[in-house]
Amino acid sequence: MQSHLDTLMRWLLVPAALLVLAAVIYWAFRAVGWKTKQALGIALISPWLIGFLVFTVYPLGNSLYLSFTESSIFGHSKWVGLDNYIKLLMNDVEFWPSVRITLLYAAVTLPIGVIGALLIAMLLNNKIKGIGTFRTIYFLPAVLPEVAVALLWRWMFNSESGIINYSLSPILNVFGLDKPNWFGDPGFVLTAFAIMSVWGIFGTNTVVFLAGLQGVPKSLYEAADMDGANAFTKFRSITVPQISPVILLQVIMGMIGALQIFTIAMFVRPTTAAGKFMNQLVYERGFTQMQMGEASAVAWVLFIIILALTLLVIRSTPAWVHYESESR
Amino acid sequence: MAKASMVRTGPLTRKQSEWIKRTVIYVIVIALAAVILVPFFWMLSTALQPKGDIFAWPPQWIPDPPQWHNFKDAWTALPFTRYLGNTLFIVALGLIGELASATLVAYGFARFRFPGSSLLFLVLLATMMLPFHVTLIPTFLIWQQFGLVGEFDPLVLRSWTAWGPFYIFLLRQFFMTIPRELDDAAEIDGANMFQTFFKVMLPQIKPALLAVGIFAFRGYWNDFLGPLIYLNDMSLYTLNVGMYFFMGGVNEAPQWHYLMAMSVIVALPVIMLFFLAQRYFIEGITFTGIKD
Repeated sequence: MQSHLDTLMRWLLVPAALLVLAAVIYWAFRAVGWKTKQALGIALISPWLIGFLVFTVYPLGNSLYLSFTESSIFGHSKWVGLDNYIKLLMNDVEFWPSVRITLLYAAVTLPIGVIGALLIAMLLNNKIKGIGTFRTIYFLPAVLPEVAVALLWRWMFNSESGIINYSLSPILNVFGLDKPNWFGDPGFVLTAFAIMSVWGIFGTNTVVFLAGLQGVPKSLYEAADMDGANAFTKFRSITVPQISPVILLQVIMGMIGALQIFTIAMFVRPTTAAGKFMNQLVYERGFTQMQMGEASAVAWVLFIIILALTLLVIRSTPAWVHYESESR
Repeated sequence: MAKASMVRTGPLTRKQSEWIKRTVIYVIVIALAAVILVPFFWMLSTALQPKGDIFAWPPQWIPDPPQWHNFKDAWTALPFTRYLGNTLFIVALGLIGELASATLVAYGFARFRFPGSSLLFLVLLATMMLPFHVTLIPTFLIWQQFGLVGEFDPLVLRSWTAWGPFYIFLLRQFFMTIPRELDDAAEIDGANMFQTFFKVMLPQIKPALLAVGIFAFRGYWNDFLGPLIYLNDMSLYTLNVGMYFFMGGVNEAPQWHYLMAMSVIVALPVIMLFFLAQRYFIEGITFTGIKD
């Protein structure tokens, strides 16, 4: 209880301190000649700005610095130049398998997630009786905490008596195959994650796509009907271009999310023979082996991968993303 | 093209083909609903299974008889009541800090222009894409310098600095939909900024506040990495961290009936919240998905 009370007191002090800082910022900007409304604006956003500088800008620079050092959790650090990176790339048995499984995981689950969610949204966009109930059911997987989702799937994939192997057993028997040991066999880990990701297509992504679909003008479809276009042509030349900005958003956010997988992996516990995900490596190196320098280097490699892939996707947008405001 | 012409000239009337389309949609929609609901059912079923039937082959779908005591046994196997208390403590402080600060910051971005304000807003949006693991270690070291590692502070103090860029974005978009005339009218009536904010603006964005509240609740309730690295005293664990250690070591066979019982318990508050405030939940997502 003492711990709770202490935290509560400090938690109450923070807004008071932020208020004082906001006031100081306001007066400082007034003093250099800003208008009242301008100074008020920057004072209002100052809590975010302070948090951004302290918890984003500084840590970002600091982690880059740490990645060039040999640092322990206890504060002493020694500059080692590129050693951490060289060690990772050249002779770290865990690093490349980790990059491999992280990228493959994103490559396998992202298309299922985005395309699946779009198809489901199109299905739910139909006006049929009871569609509201179905929309609620379809949103359930997104509501379930990751921890519960991971445990549930790990149990369903249980090789001895999980329902997935049970459902597959007639097929397996015909071919005389053994029950796959899904998360325990490096050859099956990705397949298992791919099946699991089917669940992820329901929920948030679907809702966003649904909103996008409802914004597509009906007149476009009517015109296409007049021209005798079939369903596929309408999908390809009306639906996809019209909602392409939403697709772009989903691809980028989905990719960043997939590359950062952590909680699910910690609870599903796929065999380490398949490789550990990069964020698991960051956690292990940093917080169980206390190698803050090495952990920061892994984190920066992941950051660079995410940045490069995001830029790649964004650079490809003129080819396929259609902005309504530009064509007018 | 073939299908379209079939509608006009084929043997099926428009009504009949409409009926076929409807039936196909129903079949798919129901089949997919089963894909979602069967795992849920399986979770609940395992949670109520007698220990001896868990590894039964074929799997037992209906527990016979349902072992309601599984819930109690799992709950008392570790001090989960205490962990629930800790979790609720973190959720409450985080939620309040987050809502208060995000609302003010969003108001600042929505209604005030100052040199650099649009640039700062872009920066804010960019932080949504920043992988948080890059900042994880230095952030940990900051809290260590303050001697607060092992306390709840690293998990809750930051909420006051509006660290969910998504929440700011969502609230700002809602503020933008309020007509300027409302502010102006209040100003003419002699209201100061605070009165305008609390009496005019806040009541207008109640749905958004609720949406942010739900998202933040879910965020703090589901957080695993934060409590995992910052809390090292067992008596301060949250439900998720408790579950992680409850899962057992790498070579231990997990007690699946207990794990599923705990999963049900952990999922229940979020599911209930969703059913109570479904509309706001979905509105919140929808809104940010299409604007900007």
